[in-house]
Amino acid sequence: MKRISLFISILALLALTALLPTGAVYADGHCEFAEDSIKIGGLVPLSAPGTVAGGVAMSWAINRAADDINAACGVAIDGVNYAIEIVIGDSEGSPERGQAVVERFILEDEVDAVTGVYHSAVGLATMGMLDENRIPTVFSEPWNDNVSANGIMEYDGRPPRNADGVDHVFRVSPASSMVGSVVVDWLLDLGVGNVVIIAENTDYGQPAAADELARFEAAGATVTQINVELGTEDFVPILSRIQASAETPDVVRVIVTGETSFNLTQQMAELGIAPTEDTICVTNQVAFQSEQYWQNVPDGNYCAFNRVGIIPSLFSDTAVELNEAYFEEFEDIVPSYAMASYDAVWIIADGMARAGSMSDGAAIVAAIETTDLDLSQGRYYFEYGNHNPDLPEGTPAFMWHQWPDPVVTMMQYFEQGQSSLDAAVIFPVVYQTHGSSYIAPGTSP
Amino acid sequence: MLAFRRFERAIDSGIGRRKLGYLMIALIIAFFLWFPNDTSQSNYAKTVFISGFFYAIMSSSWALLAGIAGQFSFGHMAFMGIGAYVAGLIARDGVAFAMLGVNITPESISSLGAIIIGTVAAGAVGLVIGWLLLRLRSAYLALFTIAFSELFRIIMLTEYDYTGGSNGLSLRPLLQIADVNAARQVEYYLMFGLLIVCLLALYWVANSPIGLFLRAMREDEDAASALGVNVVRYKILVFVFTSMIVGFAGAIFYSDVGSERIIPEQLEILQMSLIIAYAVIGGMESLIGAAAGAFISRYLLEAMRQVVISLPFGLTTADGSDAFVWDTGYWRFALFGVVMVFTLRYMRNGLLYPIITWFSGRDIAMKETVSIRESDDDEGAAPTEADDE
Repeated sequence: MKRISLFISILALLALTALLPTGAVYADGHCEFAEDSIKIGGLVPLSAPGTVAGGVAMSWAINRAADDINAACGVAIDGVNYAIEIVIGDSEGSPERGQAVVERFILEDEVDAVTGVYHSAVGLATMGMLDENRIPTVFSEPWNDNVSANGIMEYDGRPPRNADGVDHVFRVSPASSMVGSVVVDWLLDLGVGNVVIIAENTDYGQPAAADELARFEAAGATVTQINVELGTEDFVPILSRIQASAETPDVVRVIVTGETSFNLTQQMAELGIAPTEDTICVTNQVAFQSEQYWQNVPDGNYCAFNRVGIIPSLFSDTAVELNEAYFEEFEDIVPSYAMASYDAVWIIADGMARAGSMSDGAAIVAAIETTDLDLSQGRYYFEYGNHNPDLPEGTPAFMWHQWPDPVVTMMQYFEQGQSSLDAAVIFPVVYQTHGSSYIAPGTSP
Repeated sequence: MLAFRRFERAIDSGIGRRKLGYLMIALIIAFFLWFPNDTSQSNYAKTVFISGFFYAIMSSSWALLAGIAGQFSFGHMAFMGIGAYVAGLIARDGVAFAMLGVNITPESISSLGAIIIGTVAAGAVGLVIGWLLLRLRSAYLALFTIAFSELFRIIMLTEYDYTGGSNGLSLRPLLQIADVNAARQVEYYLMFGLLIVCLLALYWVANSPIGLFLRAMREDEDAASALGVNVVRYKILVFVFTSMIVGFAGAIFYSDVGSERIIPEQLEILQMSLIIAYAVIGGMESLIGAAAGAFISRYLLEAMRQVVISLPFGLTTADGSDAFVWDTGYWRFALFGVVMVFTLRYMRNGLLYPIITWFSGRDIAMKETVSIRESDDDEGAAPTEADDE
């Protein structure tokens, strides 16, 4: 019996060993391509503890961009067409795995550029490595301010990446601070003075609340912050405190995600706290999922919410095509990180074509710094880089190698059961769809 | 089968299985010592090995705690996290113990000093938990350590001002070597050396009189106690010992040896379940088996990210390629699960157990109580509390 077990164990090990990699994959296309191809590494989370849904969407978008570029005969460098080959690596949302995959990209796959990255922790752990190895990189989702700020500022004891005169890392997703500022700027424009923030007690809710609180207080507004646990279902005690306060708040801002956000918003509306004539309701961005929103928050008409990424009513032709392809694959509206990932591959390809090289990191970086491309999310350019190194006084360091115009908007429902595709964009003014910065309850734009 | 029997006889009458086993271990160690000097291997391969060594330490120490001492703790990753987070925070912010008149500033402490404090902190927390819980039966330890792990993870996640939340905490690097290749070589040997030292320490405990007490306690606490074994003391001892080992390994690994930052997601129960799975696949009651299980599993999980099989005889796939690409990246954990189920169903002592037993000689089976329990089952199970009732 033991011998049989021994054989079984040897066989099982041999069977697993037979699964070892034995070769490489290469791309193909209908145009005449050079034998070499341009390899772009896509670093995305495809297993737990990473956000797999995000990674799958990003991976799809990166491959889609490569297919589209190859269909247009690839990247022309010195009159020769080079196909783009994508190598996807699973970061698992972990810095340790992210670093290992980047090392594999550089040493084994010999990629010419890298894009992707969903989790900030992975971006922060890999950005130094990518820069040291002179790999042009365009991150498409990490939000942490330091991802771009480390280009010109020390971070965690690490010197600025641009200390040697070339910073290889760019970002086309918004920095955290860019997202927070839109909500506050909009409310301050409306003249609110008494703000209640209800924030979840997590690393998403607390920093976001702290950031908004600081901005409101700097503008002279009075802020009351109430923290809640994710998963709480009964918010009546908290909401009763708001009702009992001497002054009616001008706005109740909800920084709580998921189902909890829906529960809170519905109970807030049922109790007549917001939205009312006196109090603006600002709920979480998950309200964009209109079907779920109306199922859970039937009394939530006239609530406003923020949205990261360009809204469907403003989609360009490229975005419409991408959205249709995405919908065919996933039956959902294309998320901002998939659009950013798609665009990032185009930005890299454009940079290589203009630099006339797929391997000269410094030349490609210089070309990317002067990018001027209209893609799915809008016009891409980088205001600050070595082509324009001096940030004016008051400009935050995260604007370095940062696409300055990621679309962060305020939207508002104004009809019961309305689709988010028809909801009004109310801020910034440049994106307004119904000519109004706020639709008061009971009115129509 | 006949050929194998002949081979067995030849070995038994020649060098002997045990000596052959030692020879194999020596060869494996020689391979690992030689590996980073193989110029055809990239730093990436070394990184995969470094990660494998780390998880081998985690799994083998858990095997001592659960497989040999019978203490089913789910807090192993949390203790690893305590070591890493305390080391990182002390090196960054320092710490003051006013009552003791001790004031440690970031400038006054070295990376190694911070790592040692992290290790002591992991042991201290282990001591408190052990003192509170190890008087109880093991189910309570399992339940409490699940809760403790989640609690610790949530605190690390929400106290983002100190811990960096999900962006993670960057630990001060242990080594300051400018040349990347040289640094990776040193990191490799450091982690491999740490694995060997940990295995020797675990092996020493498992084969000392303490190891006998632990096995006795695992089999029947009451009987062991009646024979004079101080059950609680030895339970606490092994709990603190393994907590310190993983705390130390975690602090070293995340000091830019294996990774430059630790994140709370690394402490999730899912990660803990992987440690358990590695130990189960390798052999829970064998320290070397658990370590090898972890190393091989990590290696294969990495290798299975994408499998490309070159087709023979000029065969091509539908798209005309001569290679069949199977994107096992999506499926590797499912395959891992299949191996796990197979192991639990057919080879409860682990896939590597028969190999280790063969090399060790027949006598080792006497220590392996799963085999004994299996034969008990065959002959009519030993009396249980339920039977008494």
